[in-house]
Formats: sequence, C-alpha cells, structure tokens
Amino acid sequence: MAPRWRWYLAGTAAVLLTNWMAVRIPVELASGLDALRAGGQAVVSTTALHIFLLGAAIIGVRTVSRLWFFTPARLAEFDLREDLFGQLLKLQPDFYARYRTGDLLSRATTDITFARAFAGFATLQGANIVAALATALGQMAAFSPKLTLITSVPIVLGFLVVRKGSESLMGLQRDTQREQGLYADQLLGALQGVATIQAFNVEAPFGRRLGERADVLRRNNIALARLRALVFPLFTVSGGIAIFLLLGFGGEMVLAGDLTPGQLAAFLSLITYLIMPLRLMGFLLPVFQRAEASLERIHALMDAPVTRPEREPRPGASAQGTTADRSAARLAPETPPKPPTISLRHLDFAYGETAILKDVSLEIPAGSSLGVFGRSGAGKSTLLRVLSRLENPPGGTVWIDGEDVTQIDLDRWRERMILVPQAAWLFSETIAENVAMGLPEGVLPAAVEAAALTPDLAALPGGLQTVVGERGIVLSGGQRQRVALARGLAHASAGTRGLLLFDDVLSAVDHHTEQILIHTLLGRQAAIQPTSVIVTHRMSALQHCDRVVVLDAGRVVQFGTHAELLAQHGVYREAWETQQGAPDEAGS
Amino acid sequence: MSSLWVKLWPDLKPDLPRFVAALLCVPLISAVGAAQPVLLKRVLDEHIVAQHADGLWLAAGLYLAAVLGSFAIEGVYTVALSVAAESSIYRLRQRIVTHTLGLSQRFFEAQPTGQVLTRATSDVDALSEALSQGSISILLDLSNILAVLIAMFWLNGKMTLALLALGPPLAMMIEFFRRRMRVLYAEVRDALASLNSFTAERLAGIEVLQLYRQEERTQARFRALDAAHRDANVKNNFYDAALYALIDGISSMCVALMLFWGARQIGLAPGEGNAVTVGLVVAFVDYIDRVFRPLREFSGKVTFLQRAGASLEKIFWLLGVDDRITAGSTELPAHSPGRLVLRDVRFAYKPGNDILKGITFTVEPGEVVAVVGRTGSGKSTLVRLLARVHDGYRGSIEVEGVELREIAPVSIRRAIGSVRQEVQLFTDTLRFNLTLGEDLDPERLREAVELTNARVIAERHPDGLDQSIRERGANVSAGEGQILALARAMARDPAIVILDEATASVDPLSERLLQEGIERVFARKTCLVIAHRLSTITHADRIVVLDEGAVVEMGTHAELLAKNGAYASLYAEGFENAIKPSSP
Repeated sequence: MAPRWRWYLAGTAAVLLTNWMAVRIPVELASGLDALRAGGQAVVSTTALHIFLLGAAIIGVRTVSRLWFFTPARLAEFDLREDLFGQLLKLQPDFYARYRTGDLLSRATTDITFARAFAGFATLQGANIVAALATALGQMAAFSPKLTLITSVPIVLGFLVVRKGSESLMGLQRDTQREQGLYADQLLGALQGVATIQAFNVEAPFGRRLGERADVLRRNNIALARLRALVFPLFTVSGGIAIFLLLGFGGEMVLAGDLTPGQLAAFLSLITYLIMPLRLMGFLLPVFQRAEASLERIHALMDAPVTRPEREPRPGASAQGTTADRSAARLAPETPPKPPTISLRHLDFAYGETAILKDVSLEIPAGSSLGVFGRSGAGKSTLLRVLSRLENPPGGTVWIDGEDVTQIDLDRWRERMILVPQAAWLFSETIAENVAMGLPEGVLPAAVEAAALTPDLAALPGGLQTVVGERGIVLSGGQRQRVALARGLAHASAGTRGLLLFDDVLSAVDHHTEQILIHTLLGRQAAIQPTSVIVTHRMSALQHCDRVVVLDAGRVVQFGTHAELLAQHGVYREAWETQQGAPDEAGS
Repeated sequence: MSSLWVKLWPDLKPDLPRFVAALLCVPLISAVGAAQPVLLKRVLDEHIVAQHADGLWLAAGLYLAAVLGSFAIEGVYTVALSVAAESSIYRLRQRIVTHTLGLSQRFFEAQPTGQVLTRATSDVDALSEALSQGSISILLDLSNILAVLIAMFWLNGKMTLALLALGPPLAMMIEFFRRRMRVLYAEVRDALASLNSFTAERLAGIEVLQLYRQEERTQARFRALDAAHRDANVKNNFYDAALYALIDGISSMCVALMLFWGARQIGLAPGEGNAVTVGLVVAFVDYIDRVFRPLREFSGKVTFLQRAGASLEKIFWLLGVDDRITAGSTELPAHSPGRLVLRDVRFAYKPGNDILKGITFTVEPGEVVAVVGRTGSGKSTLVRLLARVHDGYRGSIEVEGVELREIAPVSIRRAIGSVRQEVQLFTDTLRFNLTLGEDLDPERLREAVELTNARVIAERHPDGLDQSIRERGANVSAGEGQILALARAMARDPAIVILDEATASVDPLSERLLQEGIERVFARKTCLVIAHRLSTITHADRIVVLDEGAVVEMGTHAELLAKNGAYASLYAEGFENAIKPSSP
C-alpha cells in the first residue's frame, strides 16, 4: 500500500477550504445586500468583487479536492484488482469447486467497484458533509441560533425519511438486478436450445415462460421508479418547509429588528447549500454498508488458503530472477524429460462427502503406459486430476519416484507433466495463441499435424489465425477438442514432460486417426519413453497400452495387460463382447 | 435514427395515454417550479424588507404550497412515465423473443448467442433508461429553462440580458467538456468491458491456465488491462471534477455580477422595475441554479439517448432479419402411417456446389432405415433438410404423400419426431425437459419414459421427474442426454422418428439403456437413423450408404457386406467412431 493517506489529507484540506469559501459567499452577500439597500455603492462593489474572486478560487480548489479523493481510490482499486486476480490465479480447483464462476466474477468486478465507490465517492462526500455542516451550521448559528434550530427540524426529519427510503431503494435495486440475471439466464437457455424449441414447435410456451419473467422485471422496475419519485423529492420538500419556516420566523425577526434582510437572504442560501450534501448523506450509509459487505466478500477470497506448497525462493535469487530462470528453462530444457515412476498406495479421494476413488493401489513404472477404462462416474477423470494435482490427494497415497507428490513444489511438478482434460477449454483468441500459449510459434505445425487438426484448419477462413470466439464457439465440439489436444502435444514436445495424461481425447478423432494418434499419445516416437496415462472408452486404443486398469465406482476391479484382462471374466471382457456382439448377431 | 424511434411505435402505442399524461405534466412542472422564486421574492421584498407584517405567513405559505405542488405533479409525471416506459419495454422484449425464436438455424449458426442475448437484455435496458430518463426528461429540462428565462425577464429584463451574455461562452465550455467526457467515458467503458471479459474468461478457464503454468503471463496481461482502466478513469475524473467545480464557481460569479449590476443601479434614477432588491437577488440565485442543474445533467441524458440510438439500431437490425423457413399450410391426417419418400433430392449451400446430388430412397411405414457414410458424405445435410433447418432443396421430399415444404408446422411436428446429435437440455425439471412446457397427455408421457429407459434416470433421484436438470445439463451424462432426447420425441407419439446418433462416446451403462430404448422405438415406429454405432446399424431393416452426396449402396447388413463395396470398407474401418471389432 502506497502512502495514500497523503492524498486524503491533502483532499480533506482542500474540502475544508472549499467549504469555508463557499460559506463566505453568503456572508459577503448579506453585507452586500444590506449595503445595496442603504445605497453604499462602494461596499456593494467590494463585496461583489470578493464573491467573484471566491467563485473563481472555488473552481480550482473544488477540482483538486475531488481529484485528491478520487485518484487514491482509483489507485487502490487498481492494486486491489491486481492482488485479487493474482490470488485467484493461485487458488486451486478445490477452491473453485466451492464457488460458482459467476459469484467469483461478481466479486472481482462489481464488489471492487463498490469498494472503490466507498474509497472515492463516500470519503469525499463524508469529508464534504462534515466540512459543510461545520462551516455552514456555524455561520447560521452566528446569524441566529433560534432560526438554526427551527429550520433544522424539517431538514433532520427529511434526512431520516430519505435514509430509510434509500435503504428500501437499495434492497429493491438488488432484487431488480437478481431478476435481470434470472431473465438473462432463462433467455440464454432458450437461445441455446432454439433448435429443439423449433423442432418441437414449442416457441409459444417458451415465449410465455420468458414473458412471465419479463413481467416480474417490469413490475420491479416500476416499483423502483415509484420509490424514487417519492424519496428523492422529499428532501426538496423538507428544504421547502425549512425555507417556509425561515421566511415566517426569520421575517418576524427582521420586522422586529433582530436580523437584517441581507442576513435572512444569506441564511436562506446557507440552507440551500446544506441540503445537497445532506441529501447525499442519506446514501452514504448504504454505500458504506455495501462497501463493507463487498470488502468482506473480496477478503473471503484474499484470505482463502492456497492449497499448494509455495515454491521456495532460491537462496540468493530475487523473485524476479526466479521467474526469468523459469521461463528460460521452459523454452530451452536443459535436462531431458525424466519419466516418473508413479505408485498409488491405498488412495482414497472424495469431493466433500462423495467418495470418488476408493483404496486405489497401482504401480506405473517409469516410461510405461496405463490405459484407464470404466463407465461414467467410475473415477477415471478424478484419477487424472489427482495425478496432475488439480486435486490434492491425501498425504502418503501418491508417490513419485519415492517422493510424496504433495511434498513436491507444484510448479516443479507441473513442469514435468501435461494433462489434456476431457472438456476442451479455449480462450477467445486465435487458434495459434490457444495452442502455443506462450510457446514459440515453431512448435505449432508438428502439434497441429499430430492432433489431426490440419484438415480443420484448411476449412477455416483464417487457418491458424482464426479467432475462435467465446469458449471457441466458432469451432465444432470435435474441433475444439483437437485444438486442446494440439495444445497439450505442443507443450509436451516443448518442455521437459516425462508424464502425459490424456482424458478421453480420442473421441474427437476418427478411427483411422486414432490408430496413428495413439502412438503419439503413448510417446512412442520420443527418444525417452514418457510415462503416460490415457483414459478412453475405445478398446482399440486400450490394446496398445502396456497395462489397463478398469475402475468401477472408484475401485480398481481389474488390472493387467489387454490380453490378460480379456482372459478374465469381468467388465472388460463383457464390454469387449458387447462391442463384438453385433457382427455375430448379423451372422458374419 | 428518428425512423428507428418510429419503428418502436407499436410497443409504445398501448401506453399512449400515460405518455400523454406525462407530457401534459411538463408545462405544469415548469410553471410551478418557475413560480417558486417569484413567490420567495414577494415574501422578502413586499413583506420583510417593506416591513409589512400582515400576510407574511400567508405569503410564505403560498411558497410552501408551490413546493408541495411541484412534488405532487413531479410524482405523477415520474410514475406515469415509468409505468409507460417499462410496459413498452416489456412489449419490446416479448417482440424480440418471439421474433428471434422463429429465426432459422442458419441465423443462429452465424450469430453468437451472446450477441442475440444482448439485444433482449442490455440493449433493451439502455432503451428503458432513455425512455424514462432521456427523451421526455430532456423536453422537461428545456421547458424548465424556458419557464425560468421567462420569469427572469419578467422580474428584471435588463439584468437577465446581462447574465444571458454569459450564455454562449458558457454553452461552448460545457459543450467542450461534454465532448471530451463522451470520448473519455467510452474509453472507460471499453477498458472496463475488456478487463471484465478477460477476468471472466480466465476464471472460467483457470484449470487450463494452471495446468499449463500460465499464471505469470496471465497476470501480466491482466495488469496491462487494469492499468488502462485506471488511467482512463483518472483522466475522466479530472474532467468530471473540473466541470462540477466550474459550474459551482460560475454560479457564484453570477451572484457577484448581479451585485455589480445592483451597485451601478444605485447611482441611477430609481426606476421602479429595475431596482435590484434583496428578493430579486435571492430569486435570481435560485433561477441560476435552476438553469445550471439541467445543463449539468444534460450531457448524461444525451448519452442515454445516444446509447439508446445505437441499441435501437441493433435491436431493429435483429427484428428486421427475415431468415426463417416459410411454413406450409397443408394439414396431414391425424393418424398417418408414417411414410417418407425422397426423390432425386439435391441441395447446395453455395449455388453450383451440390452437397446432395440426387438422393432417392423410400422409408416405408414401420421400416427402419439407417444412413451411413463418411464425414462429408451429406448425412448431416440430409438430416438438416428433413428437420427444415434449410429450405431450397430440389427434387422432392414427401411425408405421407405431401411435399415437406407445404406441410403446416404443427402437422410436421406430429408426423416427425427428431432426436438431434447435440442434445439440448434446459435448466428446469426433468419433466419440463420432456414436455418443453406443453400439456402432454400424462399417460403418453409415462409410456415414453418407460419405453426409452428414461425411467432409470428419473428414478436415480427421489424427486423423480421433478428433479432439477442443472445448467447445460451438467448433471446428465452424454448417454443419458440421448435417452432423454429420445423420450422427449416419443412423448409426442410421432409417426416417423429421425434419429441422429451422437458420435460422442457414451459410457457402457448408458450405452446399454440407450440401445434398449432405441431398439424398442425401432420396433414401433418408422425410423430414419443417421447411424454411427454398429449395433444400431445392424438393427436396421435397410442400410443406405452415402458417399459424396449420392446413394452408392442400399441393402441389409449381410447383403452389403457380401458386396464387399463401400459399406464393407466402412465396416472394416469401424464406421465413424464406433469401436472396431479386432477379430472378425
């Protein structure tokens, strides 16, 4: 945190000066008006000159007073965003499993804006209100304590009503925002499912459903407008009542000779001057409360424990140096890929209460390949996520070359492996950027070819430079998977990857390609055989793996070579026969 | 742009009385507002300064009455306007939704869904802002300024003229700020939009970033966007602060000018009307504020209007899209046997480049025909023609003896049930995903659920058919999705089922359930299947082999294998994605 208090200190001084000058104007006006009545031309001209100069000075001082509050708030916002995003990058999937992306996003965007609104707008207005009250009320009391008291009554009442009203207003605003979200969600669902809606000719019921939502939104907005029409002008009304009282009681005082007409006029403009900041004060509390809630929500993320061992800074090297070394190492591997030996010992893994992997014990020797087979929900993907430490296994269950995987620095571990997940995630950039992700472009052609992406690129107008749109919307599902596969293969070939993990990537390619691709996945062309784990339903691919494990409901039910498994009675052979069954039935 | 607002007329029209009521309030608000300083001046000059105690409270009460009057009329104005605006917006939303849901698939393939969504949400919201806070409100501001100027002239013409001399330079200054701020505001908005969309995308793809150790690169890119956002804001803040302070300072300087003017008057002959009195100065200070306030907000309101203009343009572009398949009007008999005849069907996406090159085959009532072929053979195009995604085919496609394009939509749906490759599920209950909001015969629904094995999916949760399907069907596997899609089609008891099998791999359990379901459907209906699975293909009565848009072989599995032609080689390759049997 930079010394931002200096900004605020300077800002507060400027606010005080502004208010002092602003209150001087009615005082000058009072003597000017009284002199005007008395015919004192010189006095009138002097006060006019004073007012003119005060007005001119206010332009400068008020400008800087606002800037000195807004700027540090912007700087703080910048830092906060930066820190929060950095933290979000560090947090691991166990954290992301607990939050919806939409929620995280709103914390990283809306909540920060709310916090900033407090840091800039609310602090400025707070200082302004204090300064205005101190200077204006002081001056009013100097004119007449009695009048000050009388006129305060409606203003204070008005203030209370507006404060109450602004709270309901905020509540209603939140409701409206939520309704807007619901409407957008429902509409999005309908648009994404439009083909089905049309095929079943159900446009009318869907339109009605959306109409009901839109109607709730409409009624909410109207209620909001009604409340606005009541709450804001009420302050003007309370000001009007104050002026009415001032005219009556103050008028009587002037008639009695206790107050000059100029002073009465000055009093009137002081009331008007006070109303604006007071009106804003009704909003300060909600802004403050909202900012408080927002900061709480932001800090919940900032304070969330990062479940990964932080890389230990090398002794004598600055953090910067480490970074540079690291990227250099990424581009030019000094050490050849070292395939790990993996042993799983009684691995249990659960998402919350739901046990996914149960007592899994397996040996994967360095440089061997393991195929993973099983129905949906058997725990295949979870096994890969645990190996890549997207999910951290319990200590002592996953060993890499005799070292507990949870004790290995996460970055060092991830440098040694590559995982291509089942769900292909693409960023709205070019295909080249999606594949390379920081690698030199030279690695692209080989990876694209290996992932069978070449025919797709030929059909796309921009080839490798095609921008894929949000979530890769321009591409078909298969194309997206092939791009993600190319990304994995590119990184596998460029780095020191000794462990290759592939989750159901074969379903994106046809049978012919599969037979070529499987050898790439298994690293058969590599100088040093990597260790590889491949999840797939395709037995034609599994048969190329050194060993196959069959998972069922999180347990290892079969383990061995393809041939061994076929020889056993079990799920594997059953599945093989089901797939084989058809030709028999057809009599071939 | 004005023609766009005219297009909005049908949505505005039903609320015309409310809009008119709001409009009628405008001169009233202006008049009562402009009267307030006059009443104030009267109290000050005629009672207080003139030492005229009688009627002091009454005159002050008159002022209060005017303040309360303004409150009441403005309330009526705001409520009438917002009800009218929101109701119009509601109608527009519905118009957009109804129109969009009717557009052809070709349109949706070309348009990102997010953009279409924006039309019915953000763009409509911008319009709503403009209607309730832009359009008539600008008129109100102008009317207020006019009323104030009239009152000022009436009170003291010469001083008003002197103050008005400040008008042109002031207007130029405000215009300068307005232009500058409009540019800066757009900069801020764009910077924030890129920052937020970057954040959204990186968060959604966080696992990939972490797996590929992109943290440092991503943080650096974020920092650049964050800094651009900060700098745009700091710049914008300067203009914002300066404009605010300028208007504040200048109104004080106007007071000084009035006093100067008053000082000059002292030496002159006291012409009654031109005397600068206490009340006059107070009234003018009030008026100056009343002129400045709308001027300060004017730029914001114009921005509302400009933004709404841009939104209107996009909305009406969408409403102007007429890319829809023309519906026919011929009704089919209620209980038709289900017969599909294709005769020399040709189709080209681009003229001269036929994808389908004369396809002829018949699916007889009760028959199951499987279509197989490599990628690019025209299978998908054929399905898209049958699903009426594309029009403009040549040759003829007859359903129950009637040309497809001439059949009424309701009849088509009753005759043909289609199961698409990509199953679309909605965030609602399982039941809704089957009925799609229609009142289906519950017995028929139950039968369909039973027949297709969807019952198994329903039963895995205590809520049965009322269990929730999560966003994008997150709690439904690919195979289960197919089963539900099949149940959805069967619940409508169509005569013909067109099934486009998914190529995605399905887990073994669902595979079996799905296969059972498909076989039961095969036994009951006329079916045309774009098949990827060997088991599906072998269950068909007849197989049509497509290659490069033409039918190259037709027959049963055994016959075609014996031919040792295109089908046999497809079979040897294991079809598109099916598992190749390794031992013959």
